Amino acid sequence: MKDCLHGMLTESAREWDVVRESDGYLHVMVPEERVLEVILGARGRCGMTVLQLISAVDRMETGAFQLTWIMEGDDDGSVFMVSAFYPREDCTVPTMGDLWPAAVAFERELREMYGIRFPGNPRQDEDFLLEGWKEIPPMRRDFNTLEYSMRTFGERRERKHIDPREYISEMTGEWDTPVPIKDGEE
Amino acid sequence: MIGLIASIALTSIGALAWGLLLGGVSRMVTARIHGRIGPRLTQNYIDLWKLFRKKSSIHHGTMFWLAPMFRITGGIGVLLLVPLVAGNSLIVNMSFAGDLLLVVYFMFFGCLGMALGAGDSGHPYAVIAVSRGLSQMSSYELSFSAVVLVLAAGLGTLSIREMVAAQQGGILSWNAFRFPFATAAGLITFLPMQMAYPFSIVLAPQEIPIGPPTEYSSRFLSFMFSGRAIFGVAKLVLFVNLFFGGAGSWPGLLVKTFLLYMFPVFVSPVFPRFRTEQSVRFLWFVPTALAAVDLVRVLI
Amino acid sequence: MYCNRIPDRPDERKRIWDRVDDMARANSLWVTAYGTGCGAIELRPLHTSRFDMERFGIAMRPTPRQADVLIISGYLAVKTLKRVIRVYEQMQDPKYIIALGSCTINGGMYFDSYNTLNILDRYLPVDVYVNGCMPRPEAIIDGFSLLMRKIKDGHADGWKHYRENLDFYRENQKSVISDWDLPDYNW
Repeated sequence: MKDCLHGMLTESAREWDVVRESDGYLHVMVPEERVLEVILGARGRCGMTVLQLISAVDRMETGAFQLTWIMEGDDDGSVFMVSAFYPREDCTVPTMGDLWPAAVAFERELREMYGIRFPGNPRQDEDFLLEGWKEIPPMRRDFNTLEYSMRTFGERRERKHIDPREYISEMTGEWDTPVPIKDGEE
Repeated sequence: MIGLIASIALTSIGALAWGLLLGGVSRMVTARIHGRIGPRLTQNYIDLWKLFRKKSSIHHGTMFWLAPMFRITGGIGVLLLVPLVAGNSLIVNMSFAGDLLLVVYFMFFGCLGMALGAGDSGHPYAVIAVSRGLSQMSSYELSFSAVVLVLAAGLGTLSIREMVAAQQGGILSWNAFRFPFATAAGLITFLPMQMAYPFSIVLAPQEIPIGPPTEYSSRFLSFMFSGRAIFGVAKLVLFVNLFFGGAGSWPGLLVKTFLLYMFPVFVSPVFPRFRTEQSVRFLWFVPTALAAVDLVRVLI
Repeated sequence: MYCNRIPDRPDERKRIWDRVDDMARANSLWVTAYGTGCGAIELRPLHTSRFDMERFGIAMRPTPRQADVLIISGYLAVKTLKRVIRVYEQMQDPKYIIALGSCTINGGMYFDSYNTLNILDRYLPVDVYVNGCMPRPEAIIDGFSLLMRKIKDGHADGWKHYRENLDFYRENQKSVISDWDLPDYNW
């Protein structure tokens, strides 16, 4: 499986980069133009037929989203992950909905939580989890969730802070009491 | 006339109290089978009072309001026609030739009323439950009618009072021993009448919310429960009269109905539920075949 | 079919048979079988032989029309709040709410989440809070005992408070639910 993947990746002599590799596990980083070709090759020729997840990381400092497709092979369960960087503004990513029907749900979630669009996904514009959401997509790192919670759900009640050490010493008079060691044991 | 009305009232109240108590015993026995403590014996009375005192804010149409009344009427109607204690001069119910057929009609009438009310409530789950319940009821009505036919042919009468009179004179002259196959068929049809497992597809609380009474609440539900209690006791007394020789005294009636009630209580917790088509097929063929065996024996 | 005005004020609890009513209500609490959050997993053991809630008269009913108690088990997402409002308003009076977990009291573990409410009392009238994360079945039974005591003393007035202060509750609910399409009076 790994040999097939390495072979496919080096075939067209374009760039790719290993992020992490170990027994039955390969995570590569490719430029965004190669993503569809690599995934189709892994699925068709190297037997990576199960899509486990499409995940996104918000790299705010470099102004990019890192998208990762995680696939699993059907013979020995080996894992193959493909990552790519996409620009953060007006992000559009090719959809995998024709290859795997489950990808439609993952892409809907990413559209709602990050604002990444997948043109060709049949149910892009439906609400996934949030109904009537008016702010920026909430999983982006520039969304201040604490401030939103305080603003929408109101001020919380006064909280008393209790130090466990003081409380337990008051109640039982014991803290930092070492556990007695029986004779003959270490 | 006053005597008849008084006896109807006393019979209904007594049947309600006895039916709710039997229900409490059933819940306690089921709980002990599961290894739990279980509710109080009087839990059903408390439930009924609480339901009666809840305020109601629903209005779904005329049939919705009438349906619990239909059910209670069916129950009281069956109670009126079965002799409770043979030869008792205090509670004298009505009796005439052919009243067994009228009893079978009244049983159907109660279920039909609830079906119409559930249909009027407008909840789709209630309608599904009603269609399942009516299909199951038509199948056990067939086998019950076969049992009635056997008894009528064997004893030569359709009046319940005369059937009870024909069974006096010792235990061996009960219909349970004279027509054992018909009794077995009758007891099998007793299970779907009480909506006990494995024939409880009508109620099915995990599948569709509780079946026909889905939209019913508060006072309506208290009437439904009362109706179910009265109906249950009426069926018990009917079966005691048909198969187990009727009752000669009040303690005898209580003991016999209690023992007969324990039959579904002990049989049903250990069974899962039949689907509608399975129960319909079972009830068409198996009890009818058993009753046919006895019919052949009677005619020969 | 919906009303188009707020229903009338309920009767005051002055009559002598109200005590009998409250004893009956306390000894026969029927719970809507609706698990709104993570605490629902602690409700299931209550059916079993170890914690047996049927001995208190508590039973789970499948439809809100036939139930007295609604248990908000844990955090309440905004999406769930919309459905819970429908369920609560379909229950017949008198009705009670038990709120489990610290998320309903003051936000709990998810106090800074964009999706969950912090203080449940602003949106639905709560009769008993049971704290814990999640409260164990013994703690939930303790909560039920407290509710039964409140009912017997006549203090469990959440449903009356909801009717009388419907504007306050509706305003809070609408401030959180942005796509409000429920009727204003849904009795």
